[in-house]
Amino acid sequence: MSEQILLRARAVIKKYGSFTAVAGVDLDVRAGSVHSVIGPNGAGKTTLFHVLTGVVPITGGTVHVDGQDISRLPGHQRVRRGLARSFQVTSLFQNLSVRENLRVAAQGRAPWDVLRMWPLPGRADDAVGVVDGLLARFRLEQVMDRPAGLLSHGQQRRLEVAMAMAARPRLIFLDEPTSGMGVDDIQEMKQLILELRQEGYAVLLVEHNMDIVMGVSDVITVMQSGRVLVEGRPDTIRNDARVREAYLGSMLTGGR
Amino acid sequence: MKGYRHSLFVALFLLLLPLGMKSGSLATELVIYAMAACACNLLLGYTGLMSFGQGIFFGVGSYAAGLLLLHLGSSLAFTLAGCMAAGACVAALVGWFSIRQRGIYFVMLTLAFAQMFYFMAYSMKEITGGDNGLLGIQRPDVTLLGHEVLDTSDPWAYYAVAACVFLVVFTLLQRLAESRFGHTLLAIRDNEARAAAVGYDVKAFKLLAFVVSGAVTGLAGGLHAMLAGIAPLSNIEYHVSEMILLITVVGGTGSFLASVIGAAVYVVTADWLASFWPRWLMLFGFLLIAVALYVRQGLWGVLQDVSARLQAWRTARAAPSSAPERHPGRQA
Repeated sequence: MSEQILLRARAVIKKYGSFTAVAGVDLDVRAGSVHSVIGPNGAGKTTLFHVLTGVVPITGGTVHVDGQDISRLPGHQRVRRGLARSFQVTSLFQNLSVRENLRVAAQGRAPWDVLRMWPLPGRADDAVGVVDGLLARFRLEQVMDRPAGLLSHGQQRRLEVAMAMAARPRLIFLDEPTSGMGVDDIQEMKQLILELRQEGYAVLLVEHNMDIVMGVSDVITVMQSGRVLVEGRPDTIRNDARVREAYLGSMLTGGR
Repeated sequence: MKGYRHSLFVALFLLLLPLGMKSGSLATELVIYAMAACACNLLLGYTGLMSFGQGIFFGVGSYAAGLLLLHLGSSLAFTLAGCMAAGACVAALVGWFSIRQRGIYFVMLTLAFAQMFYFMAYSMKEITGGDNGLLGIQRPDVTLLGHEVLDTSDPWAYYAVAACVFLVVFTLLQRLAESRFGHTLLAIRDNEARAAAVGYDVKAFKLLAFVVSGAVTGLAGGLHAMLAGIAPLSNIEYHVSEMILLITVVGGTGSFLASVIGAAVYVVTADWLASFWPRWLMLFGFLLIAVALYVRQGLWGVLQDVSARLQAWRTARAAPSSAPERHPGRQA
């Protein structure tokens, strides 16, 4: 894990009308690290994700990637800055084949290339190379010609994460990647996140499964009511009295 | 490749059409509506945009053709290019505002634009001829390097021109739909949020689809003005938008071929029914309700369903004879 800070958010505020969902959050994500954001429901984790990835406009504060201000950049342009995300609720192109889902996602790095009319989607190039690698890695080769809408839930979750990786990002936002997964798939996802870190990706993870969060994170940020409650390494967080009180204790001691 | 097979089918259809139609004008009308429906399908079927503004582009194309021919006496090729350009420009304008909204609000905006352009055409009498439209439009001949190649005053000769133009447009649209651009549109139709999240400027892509659709619809409108010899006010009426959408939805949104089928059914049925049943449009009302309720894929979906069942029936019929061979030992 390097000390270089890839994403730096300062005093991020997001208001929906009079409701403040995120009330001034500072966040530093180091290159190549796994950084988890946890907190009770309604703490503002997903909203923070939306603001950082540009899905919703920021109300106040700044977001820098590699020292460049991206606070006001539309979401689709942040992909070219090396950000990519998966969705909490599986969000695929239902009627396109698995292969095309990945190809379309891989092409997002250079979206206007699609205007070159002559090459057909199957043409071999960078994007297609990336797709082949991802199909193998996420064990989707068997179903690559099937429409994404017809996959099993586990396969859809894998495709969901694979699509985030297709744009070859430096920082991947994973929004509850294990939601609705079976036990075996969860272990696999944990393994995958560890692999991503080894390969030099930075991961920003929102997750409810404490086993994964404690097992893979370099840094954990605990949010409550739109603010950062505490931030630290997993063992610090586990033993922090405030965190135990606020939310974690009951889950760690199995009293949920 | 699917696209080329469809183009081939359309070529065959256009060649055989004269055998089944009673007049060249009717056949040409079919081709023109098919073109407009294909353009509508690009938005509805491939991008997920239900536009009630197609009549604007059709009308603007008609006026452009009328003005170019009446005032400049332009050549056929220049006129067609002018119609496309006019359609594309107006579509860019309408699209620019409409795609800012989604769902029902998008539909309402296109509807509002349709009304606005209608009243504009109605009130700008010096340019559009107002209620009367532009009259006395002469069809230009097909020329090559200043030499006359084809005299288009004969309805069937003009049909040949329209059919050739349509075949080219159809092939290009098919090509567009199968290209990466087309697949990006499909992705946007399926899931806008995800398309934006993986890096596509959804609004820009929608606007591009709009401009292409506007150009093709404008071309259809121009061809119609030359067919009728007038550019009437009714060509920019809201009813044209409705008719184009009707043809597209009844035909089906899965393929451009579906739009050709939709136009053929519409034109033939309308011509036949109108001769003895003045309320014939009601039938299309019922057809639309039936499609909305039972066959979301339109007539094209029905055809695909029938062919799939035929296939299944054939394999089922072939099965009994081959089944015993699979386990020859067990019978013995």
